[in-house]
Amino acid sequence: MAVSTHAPVADKRLLPPSKSLIGLIRPDTSTGLVDWLTTVDHKKIGIMYGGFALFFFLLGGIEALLIRLQLMYPGGTVVSAQTYNQLFTMHGTTMVFLAVMPLNAAFFNFVMPLQIGARDVAFPRLNALGLWAFVAGALILNLSWLFQWAQVFGWFTPVSGQMDIVPAIGWFGYAPITGKNYSGIGTDFWIFGLQVLGVASLVGSFNFITTIINMRAPGMTMMRLPLFTWMTLITSFLIIFAFPAITIALVELMFDRFFGTNFYHVEMGGQPILWQHLFWIFGHPEVYILILPTMGIVSEILPTFARKPLFGYPMVVFSGAVIGFLGFAVWSHHMFTTGLGVVATAAFSLLTMAIAVPTGVKILNWIGTLWGGHIRFSVPMVFALGFIWMFMMGGFSGIMHSAAPADAQQQDSYFVVAHFHYVLIGGALLAILGGLYFWVPKIFGRMMSEKVGYIAASAIIIGFNVAFFPMHYLGLTGMPRRTHTYLAGFGWETWNFVATIGAFVLGIGVLMVIIDLIRTVASGKPCGSDPWDARTLEWSLPSPVPAYNFAHNPVIPGRDAWWLHKYGKKPEQEIEYEKTGPEGIHMPSQSWWPLVSSVGLLVVGVAMALHSAGVPYCGYVAIGGLGLSVVSFFLWALEGPGGYHLTPPDDGDEPQKVLASYTPEPSQKLELTH
Amino acid sequence: MNAHALSLESLIKEEAKRYHAFINLAFILAILTSTEIVIIFLPFASWLIVTSLVVLSLVKFFCVILWFMHLIYDRILLFLLFMSGLLIAVGTVIALMFLFSPNDLDRSLFSFNTLSMFFNSFCFVA
Amino acid sequence: MNSDISSAATVDALHHEEHSSTGIENKKLMMWLFLASDCMFFGTLITTHLIYRKLYPSGAAEEGILNIKNTFNIELTSFSTFILLMSSFLMALAVSAMHKGQLQSFRKNVLGVIFFGLIFLGCQVYEFTEFSMGNPTAGIPPLTLSNSIFGSTFYLMTGTHGTHVAIGVLWLVAMFFYSFSGRMNIHSAIDVEVAGLYWHFVDIVWIVIFTAVYLIEYI
Ligand code: HEM
Ligand SMILES: [Cu+2]
Repeated sequence: MAVSTHAPVADKRLLPPSKSLIGLIRPDTSTGLVDWLTTVDHKKIGIMYGGFALFFFLLGGIEALLIRLQLMYPGGTVVSAQTYNQLFTMHGTTMVFLAVMPLNAAFFNFVMPLQIGARDVAFPRLNALGLWAFVAGALILNLSWLFQWAQVFGWFTPVSGQMDIVPAIGWFGYAPITGKNYSGIGTDFWIFGLQVLGVASLVGSFNFITTIINMRAPGMTMMRLPLFTWMTLITSFLIIFAFPAITIALVELMFDRFFGTNFYHVEMGGQPILWQHLFWIFGHPEVYILILPTMGIVSEILPTFARKPLFGYPMVVFSGAVIGFLGFAVWSHHMFTTGLGVVATAAFSLLTMAIAVPTGVKILNWIGTLWGGHIRFSVPMVFALGFIWMFMMGGFSGIMHSAAPADAQQQDSYFVVAHFHYVLIGGALLAILGGLYFWVPKIFGRMMSEKVGYIAASAIIIGFNVAFFPMHYLGLTGMPRRTHTYLAGFGWETWNFVATIGAFVLGIGVLMVIIDLIRTVASGKPCGSDPWDARTLEWSLPSPVPAYNFAHNPVIPGRDAWWLHKYGKKPEQEIEYEKTGPEGIHMPSQSWWPLVSSVGLLVVGVAMALHSAGVPYCGYVAIGGLGLSVVSFFLWALEGPGGYHLTPPDDGDEPQKVLASYTPEPSQKLELTH
Repeated sequence: MNAHALSLESLIKEEAKRYHAFINLAFILAILTSTEIVIIFLPFASWLIVTSLVVLSLVKFFCVILWFMHLIYDRILLFLLFMSGLLIAVGTVIALMFLFSPNDLDRSLFSFNTLSMFFNSFCFVA
Repeated sequence: MNSDISSAATVDALHHEEHSSTGIENKKLMMWLFLASDCMFFGTLITTHLIYRKLYPSGAAEEGILNIKNTFNIELTSFSTFILLMSSFLMALAVSAMHKGQLQSFRKNVLGVIFFGLIFLGCQVYEFTEFSMGNPTAGIPPLTLSNSIFGSTFYLMTGTHGTHVAIGVLWLVAMFFYSFSGRMNIHSAIDVEVAGLYWHFVDIVWIVIFTAVYLIEYI
């Protein structure tokens, strides 16, 4: 464990250069790029998550627009059938794993510790590993495009002669097409990319759960947690219980491809259906991993802009937990047409219908929150209202799939495509954009443009409906998913054309948001610490938030603590603060190892895929990459968390009453004790 | 109970008590394992043997997590957290075993003989 | 940073008092979360094995490729099962010793755990080579990763468990050497305890595998 300098400083750049116990200098005093690469600050990590995720979101969006261009007219020739398969595979994988999940993670990172009154997450370096492993996984997946281009120019040819260098197996990667005989190294990029992304999500989630359970400020009982924090907690549990299933399924697939095992080899008795089960055991909880955090975001935005507490807080928490739990018991609704047997089909059908109940409860509560409120239609609110409506429509088509006989008609048709885009764009994405408009003033201390916001929100919501509502018709009249073209004369021409137009309107709206975001970060109008007159603890801090978050530890008076503090009539509703002692605030030291170990993982992934393409020595490179990761984990353990002390420069900027000492009452500890 | 709330002295006393628990447990685990190895060669009905094996390994499993892994001395929260993962995992395993025997499953709807069917799904050799 | 051990100890103590809303150390909580998640990892592996075991009573798509009962060596497996159980016992003692701050006794016990862990791994290596070669004179066909579905599921599952054991051994070896650095004191007990939790978990997974994979073949 490294030793800290005991003279606290106000600015970490003033620290004397310090060696860790293994003799390496920790990058604590670094600035600029090195600071970002080695940071363990949850806020910077959150910002980087968001930045990378928005980049991949744009990439996935371009893929989507290419798909829509191809389908605009019957017999389209914009891309080949092979490229089309690669586009929809990469689009789906990117949007799920590289856009929506990390955008949610960006908010988890930035907002959650502030909401519980913590100075950082429980394991700051592990948090950095989550970020860099995510980047490594994303690169593994997307570097496949580079190799594909190299192949086009004739610089690179896989020995097997299979030319699908970019994955072309769908985001669900059904067996047996993922077998070595049926698909090329794209599948290997996909396997390793997903595996590394899994590592990122898992370490992130262990960290978040520990943080929420253990690092709450005094007085912040579980039933006072802001809803977004609750949903972070539940989502993290879903991740740690759902990802193992796909990790093992991917390991089995990797062994099939590299070491000749028979898990999914039909010739040797392997059962492709097993892949479907394992994938959806992960896959269904995964869709809740995407949506629950965004439900949390909406549950923060609505009370703020309706200026009312969330209606039925315990019910919203409870229904979130029930959704999470039931989410593990419905996976086979993706497999109704595979012949599960009567009992299983009926059971999964019923359970799927049941899961709509807690979902409906939430919608009721959101509407209850709006009822009688003093509603302000600011941009975040517009997105949140759009979320309620659009998500509800996605839920309706979901319930239609839950009836197995009906689903037999809908399965693998554009009806399903309509369903999941309503829940994912109309649901998750709208809420995330709402969250962006909501929290950017906190993150950067600058306001995004209202005018652009309204125009973009209208373009997104209208474009989205124009693009995806017709897909209900297309699906019910039989247009299949995952086909690169269709013939004229089935009556699908009009709606496909309309859908493509809508998709471009949606794309323009998204682009406007991103451009305005960049402008805001560079030169937006500065705003105060609490521009929305909001309710939760993060708004009590200056914007942008200082490195140590809270100059003095807050003592939480109740739910919606900041609101109580501002408008509470009784003195005990004010937030009090435990005064920071003269030793200053303990800050964790920065570290290179999260980044270096992720580079190791990146090397493993790319080298293994190239190994499968027959590039010489790649097996050794992969082993070297693994070695790099293992060595950096050892050095990571040896250097210890380290730390230095900062003194908040000035007490004046916080409206607070500082308590000399504070002892929490026993009842304010977590209820679950012996 | 939180070990760190105790003084060093009472801690040492506590650890001494645990020491005996650990030794006894080691013996019990050894005996249960021997029983398992003997049982499989006895000429009983296979459902009986499977049931006893399941019960014996459950007992061993819980002995280890409760004593060796200190769950019985620790906060109950840890126990609940672990059990939530374990239950989801076990539930998934059982559901999958059922799902891969659709015919048994559908027949059981009419015979209500689910219990024997459950054990059947684990007795492949019998 | 300065390398003065005594000031390291005070800072250690300072950091040790880190605030935790439940009174549970962060590291311990996180290890339990990891173990809860690991249940799902092994659950998936074990079901894969059991499903295929049920679908193919002979262990392969074709009859006559394998002779599982004769391939297995129950004496050897029982021996390594005992070894692993006893290593768990020693691990519990090592954790206990560290809580009392008895470094010497900690080292002795941890060395025992490492030794037993290595024996277990040795048995597994031996078992894998024996199984994969078979014994043509005794009429026992080989069992390999790719010659049958049973081979695939069996090796992947026991191999994953073996990898867990190997990681545990590496971890404990590192701790053993670290204990000579002078930086290990009663506050490191939590680190040892966390390693111990991991080690015991590997043991309980083996309890399940021993029954569900080995013993069941003899019924
Ligand atoms: C009321 C709640 C919901 C119900 C009852 C429901 C039901 C279903 C059913 C039965 C299917 C399978 C359709 C088929 O393939 O034939 C399905 C597909 C899908 N659902 Fe939902 N769903 C619900 C909410 C959600 C949410 C909240 C999300 C994500 C945020 C989501 C994402 C998806 C996705 C991505 C698919 C398609 C997967 C694929 O085949 O690639 N659903 N849903
Ligand atoms: Cu689903």
